[in-house]
Amino acid sequence: MATTACFIIVSRNEIPIYEAEVGSAVKREDAAQLHQFILHAALDIVQDLAWTTSAMFLKAIDRFNDLVVSVYVTAGHILRTSTQINAMTFLLFIFSLLNPLYLPGSRITSSHFDTKVRALARKYL
Amino acid sequence: MEEYPEEWRTPPVCLISVVGLAEHEHHRLISTHLLSEQPPTNTLALPDLSKLLHLLSKKPKQPLDATSSSSPAAGILKRDWLIKHRTRVPSVVAALFSSDQVYGDPAQWLQVCSDLDLLKAAIKPRNIKLVVIVVNDTLSDHNDVYEERFIALRKRAELDSKYILTFNPNTASDLQISLNRLASIFGELSLAYYRDEGRRIKTRVEKKTLNVNSIDLNIRYCFKVAVYAEFRRDWVEALRFYEDAYHMLREMIGTSTRLPPIQRLVEIKTIAELLHFKISTVLLHGGKLKEAITWFHQHNASYKKLVGAPEVVFLHWEWLSRQFLVFAELLDTSSVPAQSISSLVLATADRPLTESEFHPSYYYQLAAHYLKEKRSSLEIALSMSESASELDSSADSVAPSVYIGQFDRLLEQGDTVSKQPLTDEDYTRYVIAEGKRFQDTYEILGLLKKSCESYGNHKARRMGSFCGFQMAVEYFALDDFNNAKQLFDGVANQYRQEGWVTLLWEVLGYLRECSRKQGIVRDFVEYSLEMAALPVSSGTDVQPFSFKECGPAGPPTLSQREIIHKEVFELVSREVGLASVEDNNCIKISRDNPLHLEVDLVSPLRLVILASVAFHEQIIKPGVSTLITVSLLSQLPLTVEINQLEIQFNQSECNFVIINAQRPLLAATNDGLQVHRAESTPLILITNRWLRLTYEIKSEQSGKLECISVVAKMGPHFTICCRAESPASMEDLPLWKFEDRVETFPTKDPALAFSGQKATHVEEPDPQVDVDLGVSGPALVGESFMIPVTVASRGHDIYSGELKINLVDVKGGGLFSPRETEASSMESHHVELLGIVGPEEEELGPGEIEKIQQSFGLVSIPFLKSGESWSCKLEIKWHRPKPVMLFVSLGYSPLNNESTAQKVHVHKSLQIEGMAAIAVGHRFMLPFRRDPLLLSRIKPVSDSEQLASLPLNETSLLIVSAKNCTEVSLQLQSVAIDNEDGDSERVCSVQHGGENLSGPSLLMPGEEFKKVFTIVPKVESSKLGLGTVCLRWRRDCGIDDHSGSCKTEAWVVTKHKLPDVEVELSPLVVSLECPPYAVLGEPFTYMIKIWNQTKLLQEVKFCVADAQSFVLSGVHNDTVFVLPKSKHILCYKVVPLGSGLLQLPKVTVTSVRYSAEFQASNTASTVFVFPSKPDFKVAADVGKREMESIASE
Repeated sequence: MATTACFIIVSRNEIPIYEAEVGSAVKREDAAQLHQFILHAALDIVQDLAWTTSAMFLKAIDRFNDLVVSVYVTAGHILRTSTQINAMTFLLFIFSLLNPLYLPGSRITSSHFDTKVRALARKYL
Repeated sequence: MEEYPEEWRTPPVCLISVVGLAEHEHHRLISTHLLSEQPPTNTLALPDLSKLLHLLSKKPKQPLDATSSSSPAAGILKRDWLIKHRTRVPSVVAALFSSDQVYGDPAQWLQVCSDLDLLKAAIKPRNIKLVVIVVNDTLSDHNDVYEERFIALRKRAELDSKYILTFNPNTASDLQISLNRLASIFGELSLAYYRDEGRRIKTRVEKKTLNVNSIDLNIRYCFKVAVYAEFRRDWVEALRFYEDAYHMLREMIGTSTRLPPIQRLVEIKTIAELLHFKISTVLLHGGKLKEAITWFHQHNASYKKLVGAPEVVFLHWEWLSRQFLVFAELLDTSSVPAQSISSLVLATADRPLTESEFHPSYYYQLAAHYLKEKRSSLEIALSMSESASELDSSADSVAPSVYIGQFDRLLEQGDTVSKQPLTDEDYTRYVIAEGKRFQDTYEILGLLKKSCESYGNHKARRMGSFCGFQMAVEYFALDDFNNAKQLFDGVANQYRQEGWVTLLWEVLGYLRECSRKQGIVRDFVEYSLEMAALPVSSGTDVQPFSFKECGPAGPPTLSQREIIHKEVFELVSREVGLASVEDNNCIKISRDNPLHLEVDLVSPLRLVILASVAFHEQIIKPGVSTLITVSLLSQLPLTVEINQLEIQFNQSECNFVIINAQRPLLAATNDGLQVHRAESTPLILITNRWLRLTYEIKSEQSGKLECISVVAKMGPHFTICCRAESPASMEDLPLWKFEDRVETFPTKDPALAFSGQKATHVEEPDPQVDVDLGVSGPALVGESFMIPVTVASRGHDIYSGELKINLVDVKGGGLFSPRETEASSMESHHVELLGIVGPEEEELGPGEIEKIQQSFGLVSIPFLKSGESWSCKLEIKWHRPKPVMLFVSLGYSPLNNESTAQKVHVHKSLQIEGMAAIAVGHRFMLPFRRDPLLLSRIKPVSDSEQLASLPLNETSLLIVSAKNCTEVSLQLQSVAIDNEDGDSERVCSVQHGGENLSGPSLLMPGEEFKKVFTIVPKVESSKLGLGTVCLRWRRDCGIDDHSGSCKTEAWVVTKHKLPDVEVELSPLVVSLECPPYAVLGEPFTYMIKIWNQTKLLQEVKFCVADAQSFVLSGVHNDTVFVLPKSKHILCYKVVPLGSGLLQLPKVTVTSVRYSAEFQASNTASTVFVFPSKPDFKVAADVGKREMESIASE
């Protein structure tokens, strides 16, 4: 089975600011947006866990069937949830934060960012 | 879990059997006792031996060895093996005999022996343990035969003597002892039985390991060993053998060929399920939650991929779903405390378990998930298989076989039923037919509901939302739209709140379909509009997963939003209803069925239309027009044209309607009250661009003018009422807040966008009435100070006028309301509003004065025409000198219209000083040239504490002075000393020193008035009250004014309390006597009188110093003794040598007893010497006066 990853950056007020679905996928019978539903549900756990551990990378924090949720919690509690692991995107995210025109908490809409994420995903998945 | 038979679900319980003597109570006693023991034991109570023999011989089985060695077993586990051991095969048989039978006559004994032989023969092949119980229910004595028979019995039974028990039911204590012994023996023996059985089978396991073919048997043996271990409560061994069996079973999958492949897999999975269930139960029973979960995951992982043949793939999903369900139920019922979970999560390092995996909800959810898989695969299987009737007929004759997980075909031939193995095709048909019977959807709903509730219990709202969503989708599929909608609404709220737009889009898509199917126009339009306005387009337009199945919402793209937008606006803008294509639930908006949507501050439809209203001025004058800007913003993907806009205010007469001039005027708008304003440019709302409209507005009514709402009419029968918002306090659009969009201001003027308010204040009309406070100068404490107030109209008529008067302490800080002053203590009222005097110098009647309090008054004013005036006087009295603020406010209405008229207010305030008019002082003096020795004066006491001392029976003087401290002249009527005590005359006489004032004396500002009183204390007292000085005075209004208002002015009494004095008897009184004047060269007598008032002899030293201007004869220094109560006089002849005011020779008198020295003061020892004898015909009196005046200074 091919791997699909859904990659979402969630701001601290639980609003998703970046979404990307990457990877080669076969058709699934699942309802649309299943990945997002699962990632959203996993926030329940992240919320509890983020305050109890000092680890930033919470690997395999939740599972649903075959889907595994991993979370990277940044220092400012911006969450990056992903149904697969993708380490490099964090760097990109930092770059986008360094952009002076970026308003914290707002949506990341840079197409450059998007292409980079997808390229990395192809490389690592 | 319920689908498993009872014997699988509960832990095994030892079984024993009691036989014989059924007619007595013993069976019941023994079985209840054993059941209540810990661990409990089940009892199979059989009335007589034949029943037992029947039970044991009924077994259909041949010895195990026979089958195992010859042919491979036909199955792995027999369906009835476990129940057989739990209910039919006892571990111990207890034979009950009465003592009469054993120790009685030989015939009975023989019967016992034969019974025993039969019994032994029956239980021998099964290794069942035997116990013989002799019931001693009679008390007859058998001593002689006892020993002999007992040995015989033991031999016959081939038992150790401890297994032959005597049961004594006769007394309660004996019974209890017997029962306890029975229980312990039974426990021991059944333990031995199960251990022996286990060991016996274990040896077979070890023997058979190499034999691949008999792997079935090995599994069976392992299972049996584990069950026997469970009987013994040896959980460790049970677990080990269950696991062995499980692992062997897993290996069997590729190797076994005994059955056709589908059925083979079904059998293996069924047994694996049971073994897994046992293992989980044992683990959870031992509190090993983490191990159980890990085990479950292994189980799940190893069987998940074993999907099996494609035509029965649904069996696999059903099986998997059942695994999750059963495990969820096990977790639910297990007693592992929930709070330890979080520690467990962190403790697991190698294969981290997630937190949710510790909660049953997770498993319920997945069970539902797999059940859904099963449903869809079953649907495929059904559609592929033959017609349903055929399935049904073939399914009839299939029944479960004697082996677990196997099925047979029953062939009926007359009365006899024979079984035949099934082919896989038959089996497939059978299971599909069976599968059809189940309502999977309801089960899925049940599972999800459980999961949802369970998530709710540990506050995982988002997980719960996901479950809720899944449930709702199921309801939706069932066409149960009410339930679906309710659930979807809850979920949508969650996503809306957290801004997961894509998910919200999905849910709204379902909701929209629900309302479409239910024919609810309002909901349909609302959901459609919300969807069309959702920010889903950004960034996700490029959909790499276009193949993905979408819900009814369609893909979350801009184009889809546009489609929805078009659809809904087609619906609302059409004159005739849109006959829904698909169904009879016609969604339409018509004249009879108009649609009116409300958008408030929290409505999700704020995205669709947002109205911001700003007044350009915060305060406006009545009747003067100001500007108002109405701005509308929409996030709909396409432009929207508005037919007309109605702006509504709290003052309904200000409402106005904006008409789109380019559209034909709609017929319904012609109600005459409203102002219509046509807008030449079309009213078009463009995505994310403010539509700004600025108009003039004016209001005649004072007070708040607030824009309430903006009603936009978008179709012939469709309106959206949008709550107006102030730009200053407007919140961001919830979902668009973080989107990448151009932010613009609702008004052109950015300042207004930050500070604009949807409400403005309309001022009162300017008052055309003057209120005058005619006051001059400060008020005086004590007097009734009159403040004239004049209300003069300059242009307005005054209807229902009211004058409010407030007195407020200047120093006290804030204004206090009359209520607060009411509450405060009366003491604090240093300034008091006494009354209000009307214009005709008379007290106003109670009708006019509505309310009067110490610092608050309310007077109603009669109707005044324009140009008229009215006045009154406020009478205020100061009790203390302090400044006070006087507030007078007049409220009136210029129109004679009680109900609607608005009041106009005029405020005046004035600070008024309150001053003390007169400062009163006093001074005590002793008589001139007479000095009583006051002992208290010589004591060293600090001045502050000391009261003034007055000598007893001596005449002292009191000088009272009154000084005018004001700026105006005052009239003083009288000064008197009031003595409160009635007996004051006896104690002390106070008399006027001079004559009374003949008339009021005028006291100019700064002037001081003095009056002398003489005081003669008559009683010795340490604290004598002298009374109070009462001054009666009033303002002097001048002579001219005598006929004026001042004549009525009352006298004011100012009181001054005199301090208390100490009265004491002075032991010595020294007085100097000399003539009032002297003439140069003429000698005169200068006498010093020393008066001893004590009853003691007083030694007095005196000393007379020479004076420059006098020649003196007599003793200068001496000591004299003054007799008690007598007077000693020192007499000197003195000749003045100079003239003028001269100092007499200084006399010093010293009392030895009191060591007190007296020296006459300079004034007292001064005398005026004339150069020659003056002519004193008239002047004798004057001189005396002069002397007095000198003395008083």
